[in-house]
Amino acid sequence: MTVTLPNPLREGLRLARTPEPACLVIFGASGDLTARKLIPALYNLALQHLLPASFAVVGSARRPLTTPEFRTELHDAVAEFSRTRPINEEVWGTFERSIHYVQTADDSGYDELGRVLASIDAQIGANGNRLFYLATPPAAYEPIIRAIGAHGLRGDRGWSRVVVEKPYGHDLRSAMQLTSVIQEVFREDEVFRIDHYLGKETVQNILVLRFANSIFEPIWTRQYVDHVQITAAESIGIEERAGYYDSAGAMRDIVQNHLLQLVALVGMEPPAAFDDRSVRDEKVKVLRALRRIPPDHVSALTVRGQYGPGFIGGERVPGYREEHGVAPNSQTETYVGLKCFIDNWRWEGTPFYIRTGKRLPKRSTEIAIRFRVAPHRIFTRDASEGLEANELVIRIQPDEGISLTFGAKVPIQGLRIRSVNMDFGYGESFMVDAPDSYETLILDALRGDATLFTRRDEVEQQWAFVDPILAGWNEDRQPLAMYDAGAWGPDAADELIARDGRTWRRP
Amino acid sequence: MEESFWGATATSIDALERELTRLRRTAVAHARERGQTLARASVLNLVVYSEREVHARRAARTVEDLALRHPSRAVIVLGDKAREGVVASVELHCHVPPADGAQAVLYEQIFARVRGDFDERVASVVIPLLVPDLPVFLWWTGTPPSDARHLDDLVGLADRLIVDSADFARPARTLPEIAALSRLHVGITDLNWARLTHWRELVAQFFDVPAWRPFLDGVTGIRVGFAVDMDGRDIHPSQALLLLGWLASRLGWQRVESLAPAEAGGLLFRMKRADGAAVMVRLRPRFERGLDAGDVSGVRIQAATARETAEFVIKRAPDDRHATATAIIDGSARAERVVPLPALAIRELLGEELSIAGNDHVYEAALGALMGLA
Repeated sequence: MTVTLPNPLREGLRLARTPEPACLVIFGASGDLTARKLIPALYNLALQHLLPASFAVVGSARRPLTTPEFRTELHDAVAEFSRTRPINEEVWGTFERSIHYVQTADDSGYDELGRVLASIDAQIGANGNRLFYLATPPAAYEPIIRAIGAHGLRGDRGWSRVVVEKPYGHDLRSAMQLTSVIQEVFREDEVFRIDHYLGKETVQNILVLRFANSIFEPIWTRQYVDHVQITAAESIGIEERAGYYDSAGAMRDIVQNHLLQLVALVGMEPPAAFDDRSVRDEKVKVLRALRRIPPDHVSALTVRGQYGPGFIGGERVPGYREEHGVAPNSQTETYVGLKCFIDNWRWEGTPFYIRTGKRLPKRSTEIAIRFRVAPHRIFTRDASEGLEANELVIRIQPDEGISLTFGAKVPIQGLRIRSVNMDFGYGESFMVDAPDSYETLILDALRGDATLFTRRDEVEQQWAFVDPILAGWNEDRQPLAMYDAGAWGPDAADELIARDGRTWRRP
Repeated sequence: MEESFWGATATSIDALERELTRLRRTAVAHARERGQTLARASVLNLVVYSEREVHARRAARTVEDLALRHPSRAVIVLGDKAREGVVASVELHCHVPPADGAQAVLYEQIFARVRGDFDERVASVVIPLLVPDLPVFLWWTGTPPSDARHLDDLVGLADRLIVDSADFARPARTLPEIAALSRLHVGITDLNWARLTHWRELVAQFFDVPAWRPFLDGVTGIRVGFAVDMDGRDIHPSQALLLLGWLASRLGWQRVESLAPAEAGGLLFRMKRADGAAVMVRLRPRFERGLDAGDVSGVRIQAATARETAEFVIKRAPDDRHATATAIIDGSARAERVVPLPALAIRELLGEELSIAGNDHVYEAALGALMGLA
């Protein structure tokens, strides 16, 4: 094996580092994710010069398809779904030439895939570097992983990595089973579990806000924080995903992965370095310290809801059980409300309220840190009537930004205090479109940076938290509460937080 | 949606501050009538120095465009050596970004014309106009003088000096002098260098391919084309020189002879690789439609290892928005691709530079490699 010297021309270049030459192999290439997210992301990376000079995409699926047909389909997909439009035909024209298709319906298909990869390698000098992307339904993960191993698709040189989409298992046991199959072929440091929330600019900005500034960290503790609210509200229903959603529900779809990751990012201790190991070590500590909710506590600490018919933006929408593909007596939750605690020195006794739901009045994902009120009131009750406790809100989507409320004197004779807002909007401050999370994540996986991916122990801790709650629900210890589409969840959710003398924010 | 407020001419700093306060209030009141909020979000001070009215006006317009990305206080100093006295006038602009009208950023532009023998006085006009605690960027239009009090004073206020070597006369001589400005302990940014960023990225990407990396040690020749206008009178090789300086400094090439003029205003000379072998350098002016004079239009790197020969070619496409990058190994084209390569306006270059605060050692090294060529 030859040792590759560093490229002396790289030094000081300001564009983000482009990855090494590599071949990206997408399984499930004829599916929705490839068309809507992966290929548009790759095309936008090409537009920004961020793909290596030697790069190829090999799509693979069960469907019989020729490479030219595949390219045409992808062209149309990019034209429809890319964040930059219209499509730049010149750039697409050369990018397209790096795209290939191989049908993998049986063993001979995988052998053919191996031959194609070897010949592309020789042709473009990719040095055997391969990134396998599992964009298939989860049932196909294990057979594909085994096929990668059995047919020797890992090159004999260079690196190989695998990207696994969500859902990663449907409980702790199945997640561990999937990990053990993957580890027959890939080492843990070669496994990139995607949680696309982590690819969002504002989610990464949580770390910057907390650890690049010195003014927030000292007050980021139980002494100053009254409670934390994390909201992931969607106004859409289940769209075309009834098959998956009805068997998963909001807990598995959103809470287990996205929301628990947000809890970890908000709650974690400062990592010693911004690298994959340090950051994920700290995150997993939070997940481990997250107090489990045993089945007999679910009625006090959780709410599960399901939407009925109602109105969204003036339109009448059907209830969940009337959605196409959903059983008329489905018990699947479309809303989850939780009250949880992180049992460690920093957060002892500070509740984290978490909620997510479909068919809520608007789309909004945000984290709100509610601080305690000033310990001693020196102003009269009259004067401070309009005053609320300080609140720091991190808005993740849409309208990414951060705002801080604080009290200010109304400029009149005499004293009156009102809450005012200090607002930072991502869009207005930087005037650039944030890259799509898939662009960020694919690029990171090609570079081998796993910071924004979920490690095995994180996934397992997430399931270990979620499993007992689901068990309690299965024993029907917390009945399903109905809410009208277009309401902020069931009444039970308001009661959950009202018992502590608090209310949910109106995002 | 766009509204500008103009102040009366002020003859003293105090009067100017009063005028600014008045204008700020008017702008906020106007916004409030429309139900908008105005934020005064300064992130930096930008001082523009120019000795020609056209430069000053053009800079003012560029800065105005930038207000959306870099809300700033801009002080535009027009040095006019003709007459006595300092007259300062104020312009306060308030722009509502057309994207969403909900929020607007207020930013201030101050226009100061200094007249007469101002070398010693100009800094004293600028100092009280700076917003405290914010970094100061000095944009010097034209060629910076090699020894002048007003340059030293203004640079002394600045955290960063911005120049555009595309405007330099006799770049082979003046470019290395930029390096000497580092005696003033200020980070230097050359907009002309920023124009090369994409070119450098494209060149570097060839050699990220491990199989092609060894060619970097075996470069035998390099050709850089740059644009001239139709009659070929104005020759501005500074960008091409910078690209060469960059390669030379990165790859450890040494000067062996001075630049020699070649046909049609080009330059042809030899350099020496780290292993002593010669590199033939040719900088060639070409007429290219749609490019500004001096812009690099193409790069061709020839190289050989013991086993193979190679050519790495990047050419600007005739449509002026793309480039083709091709690697030719032993005569056969490999990895040919088209990439976007838009010509960037000054405001985009400046915007990029203002978002970077550190020193650019690679640029300084590139200048160093050009030393002694003239």
